[in-house]
Amino acid sequence: MSNKEFPDFDTMTPADFEKYLPDFFANGDGHVSTDPRLQTFLSNNPDCAALVRDLEAIAEHAKSLFEPAEPSEAVWSNIQHKLRQQGSEDEDFPIPQTV
Amino acid sequence: MDVQGLQMTQNHPSPGVFKRNPPIVGEAEAIEAAKNGDAQAFSKLYALHKRRVYTLTLRMLGNVSEAEDMTQEAFLHLFRKIGSFRGESAFSTWLHRLTVNLVLMHLRKKGLNLVSLEETINPSEEDAPKRDFGSRDLHLTGSVDRVALERAVASLPPGYRMVFVLHDVEGFEHNEIATMLGCSTGNSKSQLHKARLKLRELLRNPEQSTEPTGINEVAV
Repeated sequence: MSNKEFPDFDTMTPADFEKYLPDFFANGDGHVSTDPRLQTFLSNNPDCAALVRDLEAIAEHAKSLFEPAEPSEAVWSNIQHKLRQQGSEDEDFPIPQTV
Repeated sequence: MDVQGLQMTQNHPSPGVFKRNPPIVGEAEAIEAAKNGDAQAFSKLYALHKRRVYTLTLRMLGNVSEAEDMTQEAFLHLFRKIGSFRGESAFSTWLHRLTVNLVLMHLRKKGLNLVSLEETINPSEEDAPKRDFGSRDLHLTGSVDRVALERAVASLPPGYRMVFVLHDVEGFEHNEIATMLGCSTGNSKSQLHKARLKLRELLRNPEQSTEPTGINEVAV
């Protein structure tokens, strides 16, 4: 963990836990649920444990979000158009052709 | 447009970005040809990277029209500035950074002052995640529906969405995000946490996941 001072892991309250949770996530490779220092607390506070599991699930699923998408053909047409405009001002500027 | 001023460095790329961006066959030759003004090389670079750039802008903006506009701007900028690419990082990493910075500049122009993140990207009380972390019956663990999550991300307030996408989806570290957004690492951590809490809330109450939140709806 970082140099940040954390409360006593065995005696902290759920409010303490909530306060420090962003740091637990940031400093624990995103796996708070397996942090050995938090096991007692989490087993004694099932609501906190459920929260952690949910946030970990969201973070994990985020990695696979958003399948690659294709821009419309208008994007490339607009790029070519703008480059032609620029090219008319600068004869050395290359004008890309169709993809 | 001074993208360089937005920390578009070629050093210390995110390891995650490198992992996802292996060298592409023919890319190096196209880059060199493009530097020499080969128009066909530009076309090839667009074909190679259009999906990656567009997907990134779509993630960050949550809006197809704006994402296409920013994709266009990213490639126009690339074509004008490709001579400054020195090959110190993967081209895709460089282009990724360029795109992120252009989107951030775009958002600033639209009124989202990311420089003072603490004060400006915090959503309104209505948008903020509820502090009900003790609630049970979540139905989330191990069963997050991808489509529902994408919809929830798209409906996040822009500030939350930005940090969530940069960290959890794109793999940037908090210190990198802090540099890009001009905020503290602590603020980046806090925003990410609030974003995840808000997503949890949205996933538990899917009816709240509506249309993407427009930039003008950010409380400042």
